[in-house]
Amino acid sequence: MGLSLKAVEKSYGAQRVLQPVDLEAADGEFLTILGPSGSGKTTILRLVGGFTRPTGGHIRFGGTDLTDVPSHKRPFNTVFQDYALFPHMSVADNVGYGLMVRGMAKAAIRDKVVRTLEVVGLGGLLDRYPSQLSGGQKQRVALARAIVCEPKLILLDEPLAALDAEMRRHMQFFLKDLQRRIATAFLFVTHDQEEAITMSDRIVVMDKGRIEQVGAPGDIYYAPKTPFVARFFGDNNLIEGNVRDGRVETAVANFALPAGSRAEPRPVLVAVRPEKISIGGADGGRTAIACKVEETTFTGALTQLKARPLAAPQTTLLVKMTSDPGRPLPERGAETTLSFAPDTVAIVEVGS
Amino acid sequence: MNSLPARLAVFALVAAGPLLFVVAPIGSFLVMSFARVEGHQIINDMTLDNYVAFFGNWVYLKTFLLTLWLCAEVTLIGIVLGYPIAWFIWRRRARTRYLLLLLFVLPLFMSYIVKIYTMRSILGLNGFLNQILVGSGILSAPSLVFLYNQGSILITMAVIFLPFVILPIFLSLERIPRNLVQASADLGAGAGTTFRHVVLPLSLPGTIAGGLFAFVLALGDFITPQMVGGPSGFTIGRVIWSQFGLAYNWPFGAAMGAVLFLFALAVIVVAGSIASRQRV
Repeated sequence: MGLSLKAVEKSYGAQRVLQPVDLEAADGEFLTILGPSGSGKTTILRLVGGFTRPTGGHIRFGGTDLTDVPSHKRPFNTVFQDYALFPHMSVADNVGYGLMVRGMAKAAIRDKVVRTLEVVGLGGLLDRYPSQLSGGQKQRVALARAIVCEPKLILLDEPLAALDAEMRRHMQFFLKDLQRRIATAFLFVTHDQEEAITMSDRIVVMDKGRIEQVGAPGDIYYAPKTPFVARFFGDNNLIEGNVRDGRVETAVANFALPAGSRAEPRPVLVAVRPEKISIGGADGGRTAIACKVEETTFTGALTQLKARPLAAPQTTLLVKMTSDPGRPLPERGAETTLSFAPDTVAIVEVGS
Repeated sequence: MNSLPARLAVFALVAAGPLLFVVAPIGSFLVMSFARVEGHQIINDMTLDNYVAFFGNWVYLKTFLLTLWLCAEVTLIGIVLGYPIAWFIWRRRARTRYLLLLLFVLPLFMSYIVKIYTMRSILGLNGFLNQILVGSGILSAPSLVFLYNQGSILITMAVIFLPFVILPIFLSLERIPRNLVQASADLGAGAGTTFRHVVLPLSLPGTIAGGLFAFVLALGDFITPQMVGGPSGFTIGRVIWSQFGLAYNWPFGAAMGAVLFLFALAVIVVAGSIASRQRV
């Protein structure tokens, strides 16, 4: 059940903005579509919402084909990027709009609006107008307006993009918590990878109108399947290499192929998380790399270190470690040994 | 540069234009309206005689009221015709939208007199309208009823002022973010409900402005009634004009002008306050 997209594609004239995609969202799932601008993520949302028609494929929900069903007859509600609150209506009328359209009695609408506004933490603002609200409050009104009709699925189009950093972090937790409380599926579109990792049950990573990878945040983060995904998340160290005779050979280091990887000889990209590299210690099967320290930067909770391997000085390795005032850091220009455990490395396939 | 005299000088400079070209002429005809004529002399002795003459004479008052009624009709026809046109243009895709808009407001670039003559030739005995009606067999002979009466003034004004109604309505529609229309559909509203609850209220200020344009332009117009109105199509604009041109009673003309001016001002203030009550 839930939402299902089968070979859905979208072209404007000769330009295909969305390649045929298959996608499923389960009931009650928090599914995030993540990608840079122009990746087709908003196109998917607009297709599901019924604001544009696909040029191919089928959109189904709970077994019903919605491909040709107009927007106002779909059982979804949307939180728009800039909220799209009706400026000439009070908060109460904005939130109650969907109920009014359904012909609910005035008193019943009022009751439900009051309760819903309390759910989003906005009780008492019923008679304000959108122009009198802060960005965070507008955000909550837009949410209340979307959840009040109890849709099967809520579509969110970069709803946090317009908020400042602190408010955004606050709203991330609020949204996730709200989603659990109302037990409704969320289809959330964002370009912010941190946002996606924090909130989602599953993430769909998109680039250039294609789905690159679908998976739980941990899978996407630690086991990227394509170079794009490996680059998009965090500050991965990406090293070109080859698989040969059960080993991975790169200019930086050679090490045993991690368990579960294909042994077939081929060129690959090695992705090493900066927090998986540490200073010193070639013990316990760790792979050691002799490096020259480029710079160290204290950033608060973490300390960053940049170093160039002696064997491959054109490559820069980034290391992130928990800051520790008691631990001396190598000087700039000093030689030091860095190491990582081969099984924490992701082997990324390079093209086909 | 921030001293008081300097700032006063700048203010005087900025205020000079409006003072000279707007306030001074209005002030002078207000003053004129309290004068009287003796022979060919205008004597300024601050009398209310002109206003007494206007409000005391049912013929003038009736003309004034009929003119107001005519202008109200022009406004209504303008909105009834203009709103659907503006809405239709607004619904086109971006490429055709502005071309279409330009086409509809193109008459604004033409001479006012030319437009009146055009309307006269359409409505006249051998005009386009009669030719169609006779040609299609609806009329057996060309009719005179389309020209030189109150009705022909109404039709001509409504047509000529239509672009002034379309433009502000279109602009207010254009200012409605498309995602509000989408949000309404998203919440389950069909096209009709969305129009009634979202599009119409949000385009109301522009509609009021458009109606106001038509009303005020019609109120002050004396050329259209003169050219297509004939002897029976008398409006207050024509009466005022005749006081200046034919009767050489400038003070009386000024008094009627002042009444017209204050009335137009009142309409603008009322319409403006209705429009500004919309939170857009």
